[in-house]
Amino acid sequence: MSAYEVSVASVIGINVILAISLNLISGFCGQISLGHGAFFGAGAYAAALVMTKVGNAPLAVAAAVAAASLLGTVVGFASLRVRSDFLAVTTIGVNFLFIGFVRKQAWLGGEMGISAIPPSGLGALGNLGLILICACATVAFSVYVNQSWMGFAFRAVGEDETAARTLGIDPGAYKLAAFAIGTALAGLAGAFYTFFTQFITPDAFDFIFSVMLLAMVVIGGVGSTFGVLTAAIVLTLLPEAIRFVNDYRLLVFGGLMILMIRFAPGGLAGLARAALLRARPR
Amino acid sequence: MSAALRLERVAIHFGGVLAVNDVSLEISTGEFVGLIGPNGAGKTTIVRIVAGMLRPDRGRVFLGEDDVTDLPTQKRVRLGLALTHQIVRPFREMTALDNVVLAAGYKNTSSPFQALSSVKRRAETERAVEILARVGLAGAERKLAGALPLGQLKRLEVARALALDPKIILLDEPLAGLNHAEASKQIDAILKVHASGVTIALVEHNLEEVLRVCRRLIVLNNGAIIADGPPAGVMADPAVGEAYVGAGSDRHAAP
Amino acid sequence: MYYVDLAVTGLSFGCMYAMMSVGLTLVYGLLRILHIAHAAVFALGAYVTVLVANATGSLALGFLAALAITPLFGMAIYRLLYEPLLQYRPDVPMVASVGLLIFMQDAFRILFGEQGVTFQNNALAFKTLDIGGVRVGVVQAALIVAAAVVFVGLHVLTTRTRVGVGWRATVSRPKIAASFGIDPIRVRYLNFALGSALAALAGGLVALMDNLVDPAIGFVVSYKALAIIVLGGLGNVRGTLLASLALGLVESYGTIFIGQWLDRDAIAFLAVIALLMIRPQGLAGVRAA
Repeated sequence: MSAYEVSVASVIGINVILAISLNLISGFCGQISLGHGAFFGAGAYAAALVMTKVGNAPLAVAAAVAAASLLGTVVGFASLRVRSDFLAVTTIGVNFLFIGFVRKQAWLGGEMGISAIPPSGLGALGNLGLILICACATVAFSVYVNQSWMGFAFRAVGEDETAARTLGIDPGAYKLAAFAIGTALAGLAGAFYTFFTQFITPDAFDFIFSVMLLAMVVIGGVGSTFGVLTAAIVLTLLPEAIRFVNDYRLLVFGGLMILMIRFAPGGLAGLARAALLRARPR
Repeated sequence: MSAALRLERVAIHFGGVLAVNDVSLEISTGEFVGLIGPNGAGKTTIVRIVAGMLRPDRGRVFLGEDDVTDLPTQKRVRLGLALTHQIVRPFREMTALDNVVLAAGYKNTSSPFQALSSVKRRAETERAVEILARVGLAGAERKLAGALPLGQLKRLEVARALALDPKIILLDEPLAGLNHAEASKQIDAILKVHASGVTIALVEHNLEEVLRVCRRLIVLNNGAIIADGPPAGVMADPAVGEAYVGAGSDRHAAP
Repeated sequence: MYYVDLAVTGLSFGCMYAMMSVGLTLVYGLLRILHIAHAAVFALGAYVTVLVANATGSLALGFLAALAITPLFGMAIYRLLYEPLLQYRPDVPMVASVGLLIFMQDAFRILFGEQGVTFQNNALAFKTLDIGGVRVGVVQAALIVAAAVVFVGLHVLTTRTRVGVGWRATVSRPKIAASFGIDPIRVRYLNFALGSALAALAGGLVALMDNLVDPAIGFVVSYKALAIIVLGGLGNVRGTLLASLALGLVESYGTIFIGQWLDRDAIAFLAVIALLMIRPQGLAGVRAA
């Protein structure tokens, strides 16, 4: 594998973890989050700090997951108090606050970010292997959650919290769980990103990136693990494979989002399901 | 033996109007009670207080031994209360069967951790199929709840309530919006549920059916109980007659 | 003097935010949709103002063109994007709106360049007035005056004219309004047209002030507008006006205190999040059950 291919594969793996974890929060549990980039960033920065000060990779991963999950739980608490569209605004706010804060902190590298981060010790191929293993594990975990009673309860909470209560389900507890788990995974992706690039800047975690992640979820099919997996892979590869897409990335993503929502609200997964239904002999 | 449901001096006001005024009542295990009264009498408010959607200004609510006044709805459900809504709230994106399976699986959903570690659904599914048949919805299992007509959705509400193994079910206007035939089917479903040992309390406007099946009627007017007893006696009570006839000319803001 | 300068700056920014946010809060009040693409409307207004002014040599024509074109754009967004999605939960059109925004931002970048466009002949950006000893930029003054005119106008419109009263009725009681013969669809179009025109005006004035329109111009303002309408109470015009002015002033003075910790632009969101935690319904909203 060439260095370029390793690089692309690594980014795909990271995006898969990010998109699937966002799907857990916004797809399974119905809590629209437009700030997933902030948790990714929290993880990346935590890992970067650990690597530059201590140089211990496993510790960096642990710190990343903890930092992201902590921030995520705080936002999760917010979701208990505010309605869904207010929550979306809150998550946008969290994203802006995160970037706004990081930009001003000298110890976090300010606008320039943190560079010359020590390598993880696994080498590029080793990093890739780790990323791919975790991406697969994330997909498997997502499938598991969907089949489990947690996924069942998530769907209820996402659709109608009051009705969920009358079935004995505590919507607050589940929303918190969704945020805690989803953001922990985003933090994990953040650590991998830090190992991969060895140089992070605040702009990598901004609102636009959060929107692109949500685009992957929407285009893949909100709530569908395999739909979102496909979308994450395709939407990461497309800019690499097609020059036009790379130059007009936001145009393509935005345009696809609109087209999907307008004409195929179930996303790629919905289209696949409809196609299968038509293929079946009646 | 404590009552299935007990209200002790419950009162609440909305912006200066006393919607529920010092109400105390007791419903014993196994009873089939109807809560009736003219519009604005405070029936819906009491339902919401019992359900945990509204906190009373004064008074306590008991489910059996437990004081549930400060508990949220889902905790009351786990202590034996089940509810059906006046305006149905099915999970439209799930099948009718899944709606009931989720209710039947309440032991698995007690906490997210519990839910994460449970995957098996066979027992709950079998139970749900049986319950759907009992309320007359056999054959509708695989249909999306969003595609079902109102009559079936009302029975789905009852099925979900039953799946929770409740000690008492509180039904909020289970017959509202139903035509004669559907209302009959709904009442039959409720009767079957009662026959299996569940205490029933229902709030209803449709006096015809209520008089037919309830063993005891509690009449509410202006936020207070004005009569309580077997149907024949209650309906003969002049105060009750006046409440219904006079209600049109009364001006009371309570919902 | 410094503090007075800060007040003028804060006030003028506040007026700009207000004109931008009104459109947003009106759409929410009517349709319960967070019209995030409103930022694209604002940006379009700015671009049209500059391009037409450069092409014709007349600033006035630039503004007029913007005021003519952007309402059409706004109404098109409603008809083509939101109307078909009203059957879904409000998150769906909101996400579509976000998609449209990033699409438009990239479109502006592709059409007009990453660096943006500037006025060829902008004398006004640097002119200042002397009002009672205070130096006020011409454009700042224009922003304040424009906002004053707009809001007084809106008040008169919604309380004294048949159209305006009908509009208010449709927002608070759509069914009753309809039975009085008020066409709810017309009201929606009016909503989008008006809100868009105001955003265009704000955009043009900002373009004048900064002497630059770049693809990202709508971005930061739109996020702040989101924060503002939540603070002001969704759908509440007066609340939005107050919140806008308050934010403008807080940002102006706030950077003195918080400048070392937080980006100026993040202050808005800090305020919103803090408020939402204390009052989940916003400043003027009613708590949902």
